[in-house]
Amino acid sequence: MRVLVVEDYLPLQRAVAKGLREAGFAVDATGDGEEGLWYASGNDYDVIVLDLMLPGVDGLTILKRLRSEGRPAHVLILTAKDTVADRVRGLDLGADDYLVKPFALEELLARVRALARRAYRAKNPTLAAGDLRIETTAQRVWRGRTEVRLTPREYALLEYLAMRAGQVVSRTDIWEHLYEFNSEADSNVVDVYIGYLRRKIERPGKPALIHTVRGRGYSLGAES
Amino acid sequence: MRRSLRSRLLAWTIGGMALLVALFAVGVYAAAHRALVGGFEESLAATARALAASVKQEPKKIEVEFDEREMPEFRRPDRPGYFQLWGPDGAVLKRSASLAPSTGGRTGPAADLPRLEGTSGAAVFHDLALPDGRPGRAVVLLFLPQVEEDDEDGHRKAPPAPQPVTLIVARETAGLDAELAAIRWLMAGAAGATLLLTLVVAALVVRQGLRPLETLAARIAAVREENLDAAIPVEGMPRELAPVGERLNDLLRRLGDVLGRERAFTADAAHELRTPLAGIRSTIEVALARPRKPDEYGRALADCLDIARQMQTLVDNLLVLTRMEGGQVALRPEVVRVGELLEALWRPHAAEAQARGIVLERRLPADLQCTADRDLLVMVVSNLLANAVEYANDGGRIEVLGQAADDTLELSVANTGCTLSAAEVRHVFDRFWRGDSARTGTGVHCGLGLSLVERAVQALGGAVSATVSPYGPVLGGGRFVVRVTLPAALP
Repeated sequence: MRVLVVEDYLPLQRAVAKGLREAGFAVDATGDGEEGLWYASGNDYDVIVLDLMLPGVDGLTILKRLRSEGRPAHVLILTAKDTVADRVRGLDLGADDYLVKPFALEELLARVRALARRAYRAKNPTLAAGDLRIETTAQRVWRGRTEVRLTPREYALLEYLAMRAGQVVSRTDIWEHLYEFNSEADSNVVDVYIGYLRRKIERPGKPALIHTVRGRGYSLGAES
Repeated sequence: MRRSLRSRLLAWTIGGMALLVALFAVGVYAAAHRALVGGFEESLAATARALAASVKQEPKKIEVEFDEREMPEFRRPDRPGYFQLWGPDGAVLKRSASLAPSTGGRTGPAADLPRLEGTSGAAVFHDLALPDGRPGRAVVLLFLPQVEEDDEDGHRKAPPAPQPVTLIVARETAGLDAELAAIRWLMAGAAGATLLLTLVVAALVVRQGLRPLETLAARIAAVREENLDAAIPVEGMPRELAPVGERLNDLLRRLGDVLGRERAFTADAAHELRTPLAGIRSTIEVALARPRKPDEYGRALADCLDIARQMQTLVDNLLVLTRMEGGQVALRPEVVRVGELLEALWRPHAAEAQARGIVLERRLPADLQCTADRDLLVMVVSNLLANAVEYANDGGRIEVLGQAADDTLELSVANTGCTLSAAEVRHVFDRFWRGDSARTGTGVHCGLGLSLVERAVQALGGAVSATVSPYGPVLGGGRFVVRVTLPAALP
């Protein structure tokens, strides 16, 4: 899942970005409105965490622009403004959620996870494909009754595929949703991680779950 | 017990009115008394004189030629009048029929009127009890009987020199007393009624007169502390009360200003502290989320310390600003050498400026000085320098210009690297420059520094303005200039 954090107060931006990264999200962060708008217009973010008062372009303007461009990213507004009118205004302009500073990091993470699920119309925090079960809240994976230990990167890849279970997901899509903007890796790294993931979740004698669709990408599902 | 305006007004009105009415009533009664008693005595004296005319000095004796039938008053059995005549020797010459033994059902010897003192030639009046016990009034006439020139026979004889006789005529005063009593009652009744009416009228007048006070009280009661600016309406108030309303409005306005500043302070403080608080909280929460290496904890703690310092500066500045806006600064003018001041205030920024390749250029006369409050001047210059260093681009420049002109001191601080538009520059002095427009700087620094500068300059009696001029992208953004004009000598 890929998240953009637009927050001009650097210590907060660093903490939020770090917290999100450690929760398994690929995070881009900026403190400038203009730059935030540029990031958001050029990339397919699942969730954007947006401060309202920013240098350059303010948060509500960014929100309006994103919505007028038809960007589907879910937006969580993060602000010190806490009046009802402020909240209503933000939500009316197309924000999906609202969090008033100061907040508990737990709550921010939970809200971002919820918005990320909604991005894929998945309301159930537990994803399943065949006898594969993914607890997105705890970030734990089971194949049958055996828990499968995954690295954060592998987990993120599996979760993304599971969110879009049944669909063919291109390498580029995967790369864009799993890697941060400044990442040095290219999309070939996706194939490597697909290999790691297969080794860990596929079981001999059981139906394969990760399928390669030649020339198009990958798909996760009990049937090919 | 609180003294009521209404009861005091009523008491004074009624008291004054009672005194007036009493004086009036007494005056009227005295006049009526005099007239009635005078009339009574006149008629008594007239009767006495008529009787006296009938007393004749004859050669041998004093003759009373009086026909009692002409004056039935002295004969009637019911409530009669009385007279008695004494001769010079004290012998009773004549009594009225009413004094005779057989009159009025009385028996026994003839009654006498008391022989009261008199003065010759004038009627003297006395109160007395009549023989039948009724109260009465008597006139005493001391006179010389008329000398009868001719006797019955027509012969002229030399009569003896007349001797004074005493005539007392008495009449009951019941009628007079009744009339006077009636007048007394009438006056008392009129006075009472007048006072009662006065009370009613005064109560109405006082209530009517005090109504504007009640209106004022109601209007004052309607003032809510949330909205002190909604003044007490003074239209329609009487001329005497309107100033009260206006004074109150002045007071309310001043209170409202103070309250507004306090509210703005708390709102600003709460609002501006939220972001750094969120920073501290998130930093700590992330740090505690899992076991980390010591240097990671160290970084988190250092971040928290930075944030705490910023919050402290913010709170300090807010308090200073609020105090200055409240006009609670006492000016202590002293001669300040601007060059030295600048030197001292630049020192804390020198290292950072050098590290970022920022050049400071100073152009001001070596002997430039002014008379001003040093603390405020320090606040102005240090904030301008801090602002310039903060927003200057790396490798940019800061220019400080100073000059004396007439009786003013002009000071300007400019920095390159400004990203503000001309429209945005207008807001740089706003406290926390916020709202829906974008803001510069990170949450903690924003706005306050230049707000402080503006307030301090105003307190020093000067003026401050900010402009931005496009400088071209090569030089790293626009050139931001703050110009301060101060009186060279503080009054």
